[in-house]
Amino acid sequence: MTRRDFIHKWFVYALGLLPVWVLDAYILPRYPLWGTVPMLLPLAVAAVAVLEGAYSGTGFGLAVGLLWELAYPGGFGGQVFFLALAGMAMGAVSQYALSQSFAGCLICSAGVLGLLDLLRVGLRLFINAAGLTALLQVAVPEFLWSLAWTPLVWLLFRFIYNRVGGTKLA
Amino acid sequence: MKDFLRQNGILLLVIALLLSVLIGISSAFLGGQADPLSNMINVVVTPIRSGIASAADWMEGVYTYVFHYGELEAEITELRAQVAGLEEQVRQGEEASRENEQLRELLALQARRRDFVFESVKVTARSTSNWESTLTLSKGSTSGIQAGDCVVTATGVLVGVVSETGTNWSTVSTVINTGTQIGGIVPRTYSAGVLEGDFSLMNEGRLKLNYLPQGAQLVSGDEVLTSGRGEVFPSGLVVGRVEGVFTDPSGQTRYAVVAPAVALDSLIEVFVIKDFEIVE
Repeated sequence: MTRRDFIHKWFVYALGLLPVWVLDAYILPRYPLWGTVPMLLPLAVAAVAVLEGAYSGTGFGLAVGLLWELAYPGGFGGQVFFLALAGMAMGAVSQYALSQSFAGCLICSAGVLGLLDLLRVGLRLFINAAGLTALLQVAVPEFLWSLAWTPLVWLLFRFIYNRVGGTKLA
Repeated sequence: MKDFLRQNGILLLVIALLLSVLIGISSAFLGGQADPLSNMINVVVTPIRSGIASAADWMEGVYTYVFHYGELEAEITELRAQVAGLEEQVRQGEEASRENEQLRELLALQARRRDFVFESVKVTARSTSNWESTLTLSKGSTSGIQAGDCVVTATGVLVGVVSETGTNWSTVSTVINTGTQIGGIVPRTYSAGVLEGDFSLMNEGRLKLNYLPQGAQLVSGDEVLTSGRGEVFPSGLVVGRVEGVFTDPSGQTRYAVVAPAVALDSLIEVFVIKDFEIVE
């Protein structure tokens, strides 16, 4: 794959991320479902990592982590590393243990969302911000409502992968 | 393992770690000011955010007009009746104000006044996370907005406090957000406490009035205002109404659950109090 093909491929992936980001940051927060807003960015990382593998998953995770950290309020830096690591792990798991299919993406999405919510709950328990029940009342609906968006995100990135993914442009 | 990591982006992972540390350190040291990277991204994103917010507000307006026309008509009728009542109250108030002025002159007292410097701003985004309650505004440090400034509605109801500012954007931590701490008072009983966001209550859209005096006789429906204690925030801003009074699990202190007077999910325009002077 030439440098030009490489840039072309990741430019198309970035374009694919654009509607996901607009939905996640500006549209869905206006219309929460029972007070819950889904997280779509980790799903985008999961989809790309499953389709493209560990190396690309790490890079895409890093880029999405930067977007999440810098364009959203309240960042503290950790999301860049977390999503890059998650991208690598999900890419590797789908390559070696799971299949590069929707089922694999669903399992990886559940894993990354679950871990993210687990970290958030753990952190708040550690600083004694609230009781476990109150934290789970936020974490569980967030996990489920976010996971429900996996098919849409998967279809979008699967569509992109079918056109420019892997070494198709090579 | 070493080969696996080398082939699968260990270098990218190291870059990610360094970026995480860099962002973490800069955001920790810059306090209420956005770090340069966030600021740069948000300066670019702000016009897009404003455009999306305007389009969404317009579509919501059209939807309300088409599908809730009857409700709007009923609301207008109700508001007209309210305006008539309020006009009568204003007439009485003007009379009382004149009398008050004369009495103050007689007693040689300094006139009360409340001077605010407002900046009108649009709400361009709402909380993207279920773990905090924030709003993003369309103006920032170039308009003189600073972290710690109070944000109110057109009717003077407290929305929150500016927590972070960038060049042309700012983030507001709403009254119900965890970490919010403002002096509050119930004017009916003069009971003062601290208004605090509470995680369990945040998701119900409520907050706490903590550290109430032991003898405070609050009842449901009591109005809660900012106390202005410490002179960091203006006094007399409406926060909400008491919903109930409870004793904390330790049994040491009592707190009231307060329902904010502002509808945080439907705000379009708010006002930032950039400066204030209150003479009581």
